[in-house]
Amino acid sequence: MSRAAGALLLWAAAGMAQAQAAPEALDWLRKIYQATEKLSYTGTFVYQQGERTETSRITRRADASGGIERLEVLDGLPREVVRTRDEIRCYLPDSQTVKVDRRRDQRGFPALLPSQVAGLTENYTITVGETARIAGFDCRAIVLAPKDELRYGYQLWADAQSGMLLKARAFNRAGETVEQFTFTQLEIGNVARERLRPRHAARSWRVEQSAIAPANLAEAGWNVVADLPGFHKVVEIRRLLRDARPVGQVVYSDGLAAVSVFIEPIAGRTEPARIGLATMGAVNVYTREVADHLVTVVGEAPAASVQRIGNRVEFRRPQ
Amino acid sequence: MNSKISALMDGELEARELHEPLSALGADSDARETWRTYHLISDALRGGALLSTDCAPRVAQRLAQEPALVGPLPSTVRPPDRARWFVPSALAASVAAAALVGWVALAPQQGAGPATAPIAQALQAEGAKEPARLPLTSAARDYLIAHQAFSPRNSLQGMAPYVRTVSDQAVARKP
Repeated sequence: MSRAAGALLLWAAAGMAQAQAAPEALDWLRKIYQATEKLSYTGTFVYQQGERTETSRITRRADASGGIERLEVLDGLPREVVRTRDEIRCYLPDSQTVKVDRRRDQRGFPALLPSQVAGLTENYTITVGETARIAGFDCRAIVLAPKDELRYGYQLWADAQSGMLLKARAFNRAGETVEQFTFTQLEIGNVARERLRPRHAARSWRVEQSAIAPANLAEAGWNVVADLPGFHKVVEIRRLLRDARPVGQVVYSDGLAAVSVFIEPIAGRTEPARIGLATMGAVNVYTREVADHLVTVVGEAPAASVQRIGNRVEFRRPQ
Repeated sequence: MNSKISALMDGELEARELHEPLSALGADSDARETWRTYHLISDALRGGALLSTDCAPRVAQRLAQEPALVGPLPSTVRPPDRARWFVPSALAASVAAAALVGWVALAPQQGAGPATAPIAQALQAEGAKEPARLPLTSAARDYLIAHQAFSPRNSLQGMAPYVRTVSDQAVARKP
């Protein structure tokens, strides 16, 4: 079957399902959520975007304090990310840098809670799809087909028994894959604490902290409106990125995808600004200049959506 | 100088700011090497390697066969924002400036000012169909990390999406 025909079928299926609720599909999403929260596991997955692939190992140890997770890239330089309840640490051996993103508290974090799963049907048609065997697990596919072209669609494959997500694909309007995560090996069960320890001691490395504080960008003269149907503002904060540059951040979400608008003064930047569009898998990054500031929109959404949000940002000097 | 060359490449310089980087490109082979390297990075990341395979000598040769147009810049007024973002300015700039490097090399004594050759115009028109994708900067990596924490997809996928924030493809390596 050709790719175009496949896309057409997907959209036709989406159209048919629109009339009926799919409680079974929503139950599957809740099951995936529970598995992500509760399971300890270690496995190897392949991240694919465009024609490029990268293999990583992911290890998670669930505990009462929110668990610890560690991701290590297995191709090329051993870059690492370690996540605890309070912070994310990215280890970048090429620049000998640790980037730390502190999470002041969990409030305002747009988690997809089981109670909010039903809300996704506002923007996506959610159906249960094929069964498939992935990395030795018998999986069920769940398809989230977007109801408009403002967002990507997603296809998720979950282990029928545990609900663990084995594969996730984001696709565009034409049905083409923009990004894919696939486990090639996975072991669910107890994980020893040692396996969560970062491989880089990083004692002499540069540490770049990113602190978060609440903010009101409108008071400072910024008019940021998502103007994207289905996307709602979830949080508005101020960050200090490396070099202690203050950066405003407004986050919008449709319940599944999120888009951040960053506003940063141009003065004091150490590297030249790049105006335009860049892409990393399902994430599009769009930068433009407004009133001596760089406005950068970062979002898991098609380029047109990200550009649309960026182009609506305005500045009016406060009176 | 590297940042000025980068800005020139992106078409971000005003007319009065052009002289310095252009003189450097005319006189300094290191600057020309930087210029070529930046374009090579940009083209490679966008998947098109057509323009940087040392086309400057060929463009210069073609230009030598055409009457050089010596005059003011075509326009020093920036187009309205909306139009500008959709034009692959780096691509257009690369062609115009490749022409320019050739022209500067041929006639350095005549000062700075681009020769708008028919080839450059043709290529510019052709390139305007698809919005160009730029390489992600290392500042964008900070943004990816800052953004990722807020993605509801984390609830379904754990931290696997964080692989984007450390992906080798995320940062264009500059010399």
